[in-house]
Amino acid sequence: MTATTAASRRARPTAHRPADAGGPTLPRVVAAQWTALTSLRSSWWAAALTVVVSGVLTHLSAQASSVDPGFDPLGSLTSGVVLSQVPPLVLGVLVGTGDFSTGAFRTTYVAVPRRWPVLVAQTVATAAFALLTAVAAVAAAVLALLPSARSRDIALDLGRDGTPQTLVGMTLLLTAIALLGLAIGALVRRSVPALTAAVLLVLVLPVVLLLATDLSTDPLAPATGGVPPAVAVVNTVVAFLPSGAGALLTADVVVEGAPDLGPWGGGLVLAAWIALPLAAAALRLRTRDVV
Amino acid sequence: MGGVPATATARRARPARDPRPRGVTLGRVVASEADKLTSLRSTGWLALATVAAAAATAWGLVFARPEPGASGAPIAVAGAVLSQLGFLVLGARTGADEYRSGTARSTFAAVPRRLPVLAGQALVTAAAALVVAVTALGAAVAATAGLRAAAGLALDVTDPETARLLAGFVLHQTGVALVGLGLGALVRRPDAALVAGVLALVVLDHLLATNPGRVADTARALLPGAGARVLLDDGRLDALAAGSLGPHPGPWSGYLVLAAWAAALLAAAAYRLRRGDVT
Repeated sequence: MTATTAASRRARPTAHRPADAGGPTLPRVVAAQWTALTSLRSSWWAAALTVVVSGVLTHLSAQASSVDPGFDPLGSLTSGVVLSQVPPLVLGVLVGTGDFSTGAFRTTYVAVPRRWPVLVAQTVATAAFALLTAVAAVAAAVLALLPSARSRDIALDLGRDGTPQTLVGMTLLLTAIALLGLAIGALVRRSVPALTAAVLLVLVLPVVLLLATDLSTDPLAPATGGVPPAVAVVNTVVAFLPSGAGALLTADVVVEGAPDLGPWGGGLVLAAWIALPLAAAALRLRTRDVV
Repeated sequence: MGGVPATATARRARPARDPRPRGVTLGRVVASEADKLTSLRSTGWLALATVAAAAATAWGLVFARPEPGASGAPIAVAGAVLSQLGFLVLGARTGADEYRSGTARSTFAAVPRRLPVLAGQALVTAAAALVVAVTALGAAVAATAGLRAAAGLALDVTDPETARLLAGFVLHQTGVALVGLGLGALVRRPDAALVAGVLALVVLDHLLATNPGRVADTARALLPGAGARVLLDDGRLDALAAGSLGPHPGPWSGYLVLAAWAAALLAAAAYRLRRGDVT
């Protein structure tokens, strides 16, 4: 019965519909990638972990500083970001490498022989999933501030200068980090090397550079006022790393010795970190064999 | 198993006179684990990248240290934070790759008592990490030799602090590789082990350092990253102790914390291997 309906359905399109309507159109590939992403239990674990880490760390940080005399609950808003960007990063890498590590890429690219729609669809699906996760994580961070704010009878004013930018910036940062993971994963195609590269770039390099400045400046030397050249160099490098650029998104900070990029500049640097590996991945997908 | 070749039959007729033990011995398991590690081309690339990271960091930092007469040892081991990632990957891959590729089934069919495999992996990982760490240290010292001489930074191996830092580099990286092996063998997924290792060694430590307090400082001293204290010179250890409200372990007790993490993770992995299914 199914066979006959399928056959009769197949008989029609040549007469009435354009020839490509039955093929893998971009919306269909996006729908397929969305199904692939949301069918994995690990995606939901990553999302849940992001929200929980964001809420718990923000709560702990606000609670710890709520005894300070000049306590500002909104000052603790971003304290969970460093750790809550880890699950989106891993999620992105796993989406980018998943097809290749399981062998499912053979099926995927037989179904979509033009290949690039798959990468576009993965980007769209990951961005959507990460955006929803990020909104939930930021909401969790705001809610986590309430107990310590109430304990000091301080009202949370989210419309205060700078706070809307911080909220939007945190959401964009978490989404962008997932896309950065996807770009690296799609380019490298092997989960362990891709994850090593992503973790190195986003988490380890900023710490290493910080420790390097620590080592190169004498802790006992009197402060001479100006910014030491080593610190200026390191701060400039950090501002152009994904994490430093992302920090510019969430707050209007002036890092000493680094060029003042502002939130837009930071966003552009972060976008470039996503676009370049993604373009390289598309080029590799287009011109080389999929293995 | 029909169709045994003639030579195999002939060999099977003799064993009563063959003095060598038959079957699985620890030595043979170690040999096969060493074969597995060295047969992968990626192991060579990983070692090369690790050595390069250690040497490049040290080389880059020589320019930033102007004061002459200081010890060159902190510079020589400065690449440890970055290059420990390579040792972590080495251990995590050795412990977890076989579960992902499915070859674990053959391995444990060949070694049904299972635990010798983990012991063999630990020995091979430690040996490989030692060799790579010594090479990385040598590369870092050699890469900075000319610049150190020009900047007046001495590297006197007979000085106890210098000797501690140089030996500490090798020991710390070996410990990190064993922590990676324990994580990999415990969670059986190289990517999950890698993320957990980076969080425990680098990220959590850094996060706690930026939020100081009694709880945070105590947790910091008990994380595996405390092993890096063996790489800090006395001045920095004093600065660390002065700024901390928690316990401040010395360099070697800090290293013991790392060793305890490695031992606990390997023990947990051994327990899972012994009691659980291999899938």
